[in-house]
This record gives sequence, C-alpha cells and structure tokens, in this order.
Amino acid sequence: MPGATLSRWTMSYFAAACLFLVIGEGMMVIGYGYPFAGVDAPETLALVHVLAIGWLGLLMVGALLQFVPVLVAAPLRGGRLALPVLLLLVGGLLLLVGGFGALAGVGGLSPGVLPLGALLLVTGFGLAAAMLAATLFAARPLPLPARFVGLGLLALVATVLIGAAFALALSGAVASDLITTLLIHGVPLHAAFGLGGWLTLTAVGVSYRLLPMFMLAPEEARGTSRVVWWAGSAALTLVVVRIAWLVFDASATEEPLALAGLLAAVATILYCADVVRLFRERRRKAVELNIRASYAAFAALLLSVVMFLIPGARAAAGEGAGAIVYLFVFGWLTGLGLAQLYKIVPFLTWLECYGCVLGRAAVPRVQDLVREGHSSLWFCLYYGAVAAATGSLFAGSPLWFRAALLLQLIATLGLAAELVRARMLSSVAEPLRFPVGTPRPHLFLPISRQQE
Amino acid sequence: MSEATNETVCGAIRDALRMIIDPELGRNIVDLGLIYDVSVEDGGIAHVTMTTTTRGCPASEYLKEAVRNCVWYVPGVEYAEVRLTYEPAWTPEMMAS
Repeated sequence: MPGATLSRWTMSYFAAACLFLVIGEGMMVIGYGYPFAGVDAPETLALVHVLAIGWLGLLMVGALLQFVPVLVAAPLRGGRLALPVLLLLVGGLLLLVGGFGALAGVGGLSPGVLPLGALLLVTGFGLAAAMLAATLFAARPLPLPARFVGLGLLALVATVLIGAAFALALSGAVASDLITTLLIHGVPLHAAFGLGGWLTLTAVGVSYRLLPMFMLAPEEARGTSRVVWWAGSAALTLVVVRIAWLVFDASATEEPLALAGLLAAVATILYCADVVRLFRERRRKAVELNIRASYAAFAALLLSVVMFLIPGARAAAGEGAGAIVYLFVFGWLTGLGLAQLYKIVPFLTWLECYGCVLGRAAVPRVQDLVREGHSSLWFCLYYGAVAAATGSLFAGSPLWFRAALLLQLIATLGLAAELVRARMLSSVAEPLRFPVGTPRPHLFLPISRQQE
Repeated sequence: MSEATNETVCGAIRDALRMIIDPELGRNIVDLGLIYDVSVEDGGIAHVTMTTTTRGCPASEYLKEAVRNCVWYVPGVEYAEVRLTYEPAWTPEMMAS
C-alpha cells in the first residue's frame, strides 16, 4: 500500500528477541553467569550479550524500523536491509557467545570465532544504524524524540566498536597496549554506552512520542525534555573524553565519569518528571495495561539511577554494582520493552489483518486482541520477581536469586504466550475475527509485500 | 443534482463513515473529529478532508483507503476523492463529547 509504513520484518525481530530473553533468563535460572560467576567471567559475558544484543538489541532495532518513520513522518530508507541485518546480528551473537563459551572451557569451540562474531555484529549494527540515520537525515529538522534516537545511534556505534576491540583482545588475535588498557578500564564505559546511551536514550526518545500518542497527552516538546537531551549528550561526551584520556594515560582520573553520572541523574529526574506530567495531562482517562506497566519501568529507572549515585548502595549492590545493574536492565529496559511489546504487537497485528478491510466490514479494536486481566497478572508477577531478584542480589543470596528468576521466567513466558494469542487473533470474538478479505496473520514471519 | 440533494449525500457519507473506527481509540472517526470536511459536487463527486490522531501513524494510509472505499459505496456518489491533512493538527478537543 503506497505511503503506508508497516515494517515488514519487525515481528521477526521481536520473535527472535523474545527467544533470547527466555534463553537468558533460563541461563540464570540454571545458575549460569553472574552471580554464580564473576562479573568479568566468560560465562557472564555470554549471558550479558545474549540479553544485551539478543534481547534488547534486536527488540530496539526491530522497534526502530517501525517507529523511526513514525517519529519523522517519512518512509524508512534502505528497508531491504532489514533481513540481512537480522541475520548478521543473530549470526554474530551466536559466534560471540560461542567464543565466550570457548573461553569458559566449553569443548569444541575456539576463542578465534570472537573476531568473526564481532565483524558480523559491527556490520549488522552498522547497517541498521545507517538505515535509521539516513531516514533521520532526510527528515531534518528533527523533532526532539528523533534527536534522542540520533544520539542513541551514535552511542550504538561507539558501543559496537569498543566491543569489537574487546573481542580482538580476548581472542588473542591482536596484542596491543592500547587495546589491553581499554579492556582493563573500558568495560564500564562499554556498558555505559550500550545500556545508558544506545538503549536508554533511544527508549526515552521513542517514549516521548509514544506516550502522548497512547494517552492523548500534549505532544509539544517541553523545556525539561530538551534539558534531558542536552544532559544525555553531555554525559555521553564525557564518556568519550574518558576513553580518549585512557588512550594517553591509563591512570587517568575518573572525574569525567563522576560528572557524567550526575548529568545522567539530572536527565533521569527530569525525564521522570516529564512522564508524570504526561500522565497527569492525558485526555484518555482509561489507563491501559501497557501504560501502567511502562510506569513501573520508569520507577525502576529512577530507583536504579538514584541508588547508583549513592556510594553505600553501590557498594552493597555487589561486584560491579550487580544488583543495581540488574534492576536497570530488567526493571527499566526489559520492563519497558515488554510493556511496549504488549501494545505494539497487537497494534501491528491489527493493521496487518484488519487494515485492508477497514471501511468494508465491522472490525475489532486493538484492545480486543489482548486479555488485559491475564496479562496484568503476568506483569505483576514479572515486576515482583524483578524486585525479589534485585533484593536477593543485595542480600548476596544466589539461591533466592534463582528462585526469583524462575518466577521471572514464568512471567516472561506468560507474557510471550499472550503476545502469541494476539498474533493468532485468539481473543477476538468470532463474528469479528475473520471478516471476508482478512489475511491470516503469520506468527513471526514477515507480512506480504502488498501489506507494506 | 440540486444543492439539497448534495447536502443529503453529505449526510449519508458522514453516517457511512461512522462504521470506520480508529483502531487504537476504538471510536468512530466522525465522532473523533478526524473528518474535517465533506462536500459533494454536482455529478456525485465527493471530496473528504480528513486527518489522523498523529502524523506519521502507520494506520494513516489504511484509514484514508477505508474512507475512500466507504464513500464510494454511498448511494449518489460517483467518484470519491480523499485528502489527508495535518493542517490543523488534530487535538483531543476535536472529539465529540
């Protein structure tokens, strides 16, 4: 359909992302990686990248392929690259995890696959960033939400390049003082770019557009939102300064990072104030589950950032502030991701199935594709389990951590089952389910070209 | 066709458009205030000016096509032209209470 912007492969990205989330949570349930191994152990590296690239990375790229055109009201550039990018990212991740497995002593694998995995990931993320950046570039001047995405893409490139340097060093393919220094001191910077820059700034930008859309709240950018962008930009710049400093002096001061942390805190507080204001000013009084679940994620963001700034809390959070990072990744990023999937999947499924018969037959609403009561219970269980897992990490109790993770995995599977039901239109009452001319949805395969 | 007849067809078009819902809000697009203008010229040529709740929404083209299909089948309409505009942008205040 000319002019329409329905991303062909987004549902495949989402399916792969959910699969990696389940795998990652399953790894923790059986005691693989942190806290059963050190934060820098190969097992933990494998686990972290399954979650950061497999779950969050694929989720974000898939969502941006659909929503960057919405942010800038312009068609996606280079949309044909969506499938190659997906294959490159999944292939690169599997090689990377295989390389970490080899470092952990798994037989039949070689650390030599790490550079190849990194090459595929650099290519995949590079192409994704190029598609999205070209779309943004063609639509200048950019609205504020799109500027957040632009910033996030810059952080993505930095994250991936630093990660590739790590892969070269860990595989033994390259021996260089510079890369060794980066490996020793740069892991927190790699994480800051990835979790704080790429994933968080992008999520913030998209939420500035989606929340007003779904709640019918005022869309115009406020001064506080602009300050969030500038504070985020400044924090990222300081991380770059820290890396550049490391190149010349391995014992360089960490002051830029402390300042970056303060800026991140300011940005977080203002962002949370913005989302509260949007909620208060909404015209749609009925608050749907995706919104309620998103606000739980905002609370987790605020709590994790504030705790990170308190030295005592950071020290109590275990090695590498593991408990706080856990809350950030699963309370904020994953919680928001699941909440938005709960809205986006039914919405795209509705367009795919009922868009072409609209005006010719009675059709259900998007809300009719989901069971809010069941899903509410899964979200409550999910956030309760995340809180329990975070608490168990603070308490240094791996056994309770595994028990909490089992509940978290069950909740995730429950939510995934609800998404599958939405895809299959299982909740739609029979007279409205398949009006004449309605295409049958594919579970995770792409939509046909006629529906694009 | 007389002016009175054209007005009657305009009314019929608005009634017909009430079967189209905004998928997210679940209300029909007429009561949501998404139909800015409906006019019918002699010869049954219908012009509809509409908007969507947000610019760039993936549902925009589907809604526009649905309106075109719907108007086409209204008795008295021989040709339907639908224009999507964001001037002025839709606001929640445009919804019928």
